[in-house]
Amino acid sequence: MAHAAGVDVGSTQTKAVIIDANRRIAARALVDTGANVVVAAERAFEAAMAAAGLDEREVGFVVGTGYGRYRVTFGHVQVTEISCHGRGAVQMFPATRTVVDMGGQDTKAIRVSPTGEVLDFCMNDKCAAGTGRFLGAAAAALEIPLDQLGPTALRAERPVAITTTCTVFAESEVLSWVARGRRIEDILLGVHQSIVSRALGLMRRVGIESEVTFTGGVARNIGMVKALVDALGMPVNVGEESHFMGALGAALFAMDHVEGRRAREAS
Amino acid sequence: MECDQSGPGRGVADGADLFREWYGALANAAESGQRAAYVFVMGSLAELLRTFDFPLVFPEINSLQTAIRHQAHEYLNDAEDYGYSPDVCGYVKADLAVQLRGGQHPMGSIPAPSIAVTTNACNTYLKWAEIWERLYGIPVVVVDVPGTRQAGAASRPGDPDFVRDAAYVLRQLLELIAVCERVSGRRFDIDRLRDTMACTNRMLAAFRRIVELNRRVPAAFNAVTEGTVFLGVANGFRGTQRGAAYFDRLVGELGRRAAAGRGTVGEERYRLAFVGVPCYPIFRRFNDMFAAHGGVFVQSTYLQFASGGADLGWEYDLWRPLESLAEGLLIGTRHAMDCMFFNDAAIGAALEPYAIDGVVYHAVKSCRTVSTGLADGRRALSAGHDVATLFIESDMMDRRVVSEAQLKNRIDAFFEGLDARRR
Amino acid sequence: MAGATRLMDPILEGWSGRPLDWVLARARELVEDASMPTVHRWREQGGRVVGHFQVYFPEEIAAAAGMLPVKVRGAALEPRQAEARFGSYLCSILKTSLELAVTGRLPLDLFVSHPICDAARNLAAVWGRNLSYPSRILYLPQNAASDYAAEYLTGEYEALARAIEEVAGRRIGDADFARAIAAFNENRRLLRALYRVRRDEPWRLRVDECYVLTALGGLVPREEHNAVLAAVLPQIARRTAQRQDRIRVVFAGGFCEQPPLELLSTIGESCYVVDDDLLVGLRLLREDVVVTGPPLAALAHAYLLQAAPTPVQHDPRMPKEAALLDMIHRSGAQAAILTAAKMCEPGLDEQVAWSRALDAAGIPYFVSEFEERMSSFDHLQIQLETFAENVLFA
Repeated sequence: MAHAAGVDVGSTQTKAVIIDANRRIAARALVDTGANVVVAAERAFEAAMAAAGLDEREVGFVVGTGYGRYRVTFGHVQVTEISCHGRGAVQMFPATRTVVDMGGQDTKAIRVSPTGEVLDFCMNDKCAAGTGRFLGAAAAALEIPLDQLGPTALRAERPVAITTTCTVFAESEVLSWVARGRRIEDILLGVHQSIVSRALGLMRRVGIESEVTFTGGVARNIGMVKALVDALGMPVNVGEESHFMGALGAALFAMDHVEGRRAREAS
Repeated sequence: MECDQSGPGRGVADGADLFREWYGALANAAESGQRAAYVFVMGSLAELLRTFDFPLVFPEINSLQTAIRHQAHEYLNDAEDYGYSPDVCGYVKADLAVQLRGGQHPMGSIPAPSIAVTTNACNTYLKWAEIWERLYGIPVVVVDVPGTRQAGAASRPGDPDFVRDAAYVLRQLLELIAVCERVSGRRFDIDRLRDTMACTNRMLAAFRRIVELNRRVPAAFNAVTEGTVFLGVANGFRGTQRGAAYFDRLVGELGRRAAAGRGTVGEERYRLAFVGVPCYPIFRRFNDMFAAHGGVFVQSTYLQFASGGADLGWEYDLWRPLESLAEGLLIGTRHAMDCMFFNDAAIGAALEPYAIDGVVYHAVKSCRTVSTGLADGRRALSAGHDVATLFIESDMMDRRVVSEAQLKNRIDAFFEGLDARRR
Repeated sequence: MAGATRLMDPILEGWSGRPLDWVLARARELVEDASMPTVHRWREQGGRVVGHFQVYFPEEIAAAAGMLPVKVRGAALEPRQAEARFGSYLCSILKTSLELAVTGRLPLDLFVSHPICDAARNLAAVWGRNLSYPSRILYLPQNAASDYAAEYLTGEYEALARAIEEVAGRRIGDADFARAIAAFNENRRLLRALYRVRRDEPWRLRVDECYVLTALGGLVPREEHNAVLAAVLPQIARRTAQRQDRIRVVFAGGFCEQPPLELLSTIGESCYVVDDDLLVGLRLLREDVVVTGPPLAALAHAYLLQAAPTPVQHDPRMPKEAALLDMIHRSGAQAAILTAAKMCEPGLDEQVAWSRALDAAGIPYFVSEFEERMSSFDHLQIQLETFAENVLFA
């Protein structure tokens, strides 16, 4: 029972991470959440176990996180994704003091201690402007695949200023720029900058302290990373596992429980 | 009013009874065509108005009742159909709907006003009173109470600035008395005023002792769930024998609870301060989200700004009732405003005496008076004190703006942080 | 030195003798320039500045002390620093105003606000926590009908004057007051003249042009503003402009947060805005202040007796709907544009009373919301044109 697992049930995707006793990632898996949250959690966990070549008895503790954390029926404990992202970020980048997590439908700014504890946090979950959803709306309007958004934005020369604050109107604003003859690259960078600007607002509320680590699915977008770096005026950590940061943090909390239990058994 | 018989004890149950009685009396008044004085929690001047035998209506309390009873959305819809924006105070809209429904309210019938008396403690009070003015053509008396001009510079009795402000308030009270005589057809009776003020004195003294009981560990009462009931009685029965007797009994009950080391319902793992207006649409569940983690509200700025000066230890001087009423109104209303605007100082002073582990800031969309300064107040408090804080936003009336899932997420994260601090 | 008046160099240099279009363009630049160059010019000369928030402030008192009173009215910029100090569900002007201060664009020696609404009454406390100079609340009477209100307000102005003297480092004498009140009386006269042009010959002066000329007064010493207005008024009178077939409207809702100039010019394309409450605080007193005794008492009486009604001043003597109808009548307007800044509680509340009163009076009106930082007006333009056509062909 030397392993621990974290399952992060997000609105669109469910991630599972299994770590070993050295807190290294043994396996990760990702499935679409779909309509059945309970099943999604199970499938993600099973996929991760299969990838790690483990069976259930070898995973000592499971922590559920994400908005569907209470539906991880095989989980032992639930921890908010706020704490998990903080913990995961510090594990990956020990000098992290500020985390910005951009997900599909919310964005969080988290200030953390050197040991990964949450000192303060601020979330935007009131509206989708400033989240991946906004990006998705713009991508749909421009008919560009999501994985092309970043590289396309990086080719911008004169970004437009996107002023709409509503995702529903993002599409019409984007199209109005197209009608005015502006380049797709410039429009896209404008969209990225607008999202970053909102994230920065959240970050300022908790206080921006170096180093900054960028987590969540949107962190895989190189255009967003660059826009964030430019706006912050400081480098930003982005890991390979940015998408799995929540699940990783959950797994780390799970490992705490495994070790705690072992310590109690040993004494 | 909902109450939990098994837990909080008689204070809440008695309060519920008093309220039922009060609404019963209002319904009788409405039925017999008697008209009421409409007043507000901050600066109600209940003592003065009672001497003219006006039934008192507190529209703020009526409105929050619609939310507690999960009917607010109907009332809000009526007001929005009438033309009011979703972005203005929900209390005002719910009351407008009550007026449009001819006084129909979940607790019974509410009589129409013959007079409205308001201070400037909240600017929305003024716009609200203007609505009644239009609907009913009634006199609206604004008693203007100047507040603190600058942080930390509140004038004190004896200071020339205080004397000037108190004189202004007193003159306005005299003008109010003239209007009350005209509307009620009764002469002003200063001895009756002494009686009502004496009742308030008893009540304020008891209220203050009650709030101080929560300095003990465990706390004697929940500052939000029970405190709101106590505040309701303190306001609705201010200046009455019933109200004074209620608080005499309450002090006894809570004192005994505290002496026996008994706390509120549930485990007290974390002592919390609440800053803002309660979330009436999910009143119980809101507290449950904290209680689930062993969080107990032991203090709140609500107890400060809605209690009419109780926490200041104010006592009316019955030898000079009118002057003292003016001074009390000035000090109490000014204090209410200070608790809201300079909330960092207000809460900062309570941290140690109440052994606060965490401060919960609940900003509400409807109430800009309370909410506008909370984010910065929190920032200032955190800069000066090492205490965990949580900032959440919803509304006190409008369910559409209350997302339990989001609140719970933030609350859970807050307690994860508190746990980590403790380790 | 007590009573001394330092002579300052003019803030507006090179304006004398300029053509109208030059003045309008330059005024617009200054009014839209969030880096507040006039304030910095004043300070470079050692001058001190009182920032006063919406709606009304007795600027004469600051001017009498030799300070520059600056109208704080937000700006069309992103309040990056200030936003972190506020929650959601608030009007923009609070945040952008604080942003000007915390970013150093607007350096002040004193900030004064008065409780116009529940959001703004918190501003002084937030301001005071974030800036190092005094932040003060002026309590104008919300019981203007009280017999004692004048005495109270005189005392309040005296306390304010003492606070200003402390910051200015000098006493204010009667001669100082006389001079300041005279300058502001002249300013009031000139602004009334400007608004008369809008009412009587609106084709000579567009609403956005009048706006920048008015707003300029909140940025520079009134004497200099007077010189500009005195120079342009004759030029406006001589302007060759064709009278167009546009409906005459009043614009209500601009008493605090300001609509962008482009919004005003968009409206101006379909309508003649013959009166408005834009920046009404800068011209609140409708007649001269006559000083027969103590000057502060004169100012107090003027506020209580001669102030234009606004949604943020409770006054049982003049219900707001009556004030709007009066404005429509006196300006010969056919219709009204009833706006409110987003999240503006007094504005949104008033829209209901205004609408119902205009319905009862059979006067057409157009209801809208704006935000100081909005940048797209296409929607509005189409709706306004339709509205104007309806009124024109009714």
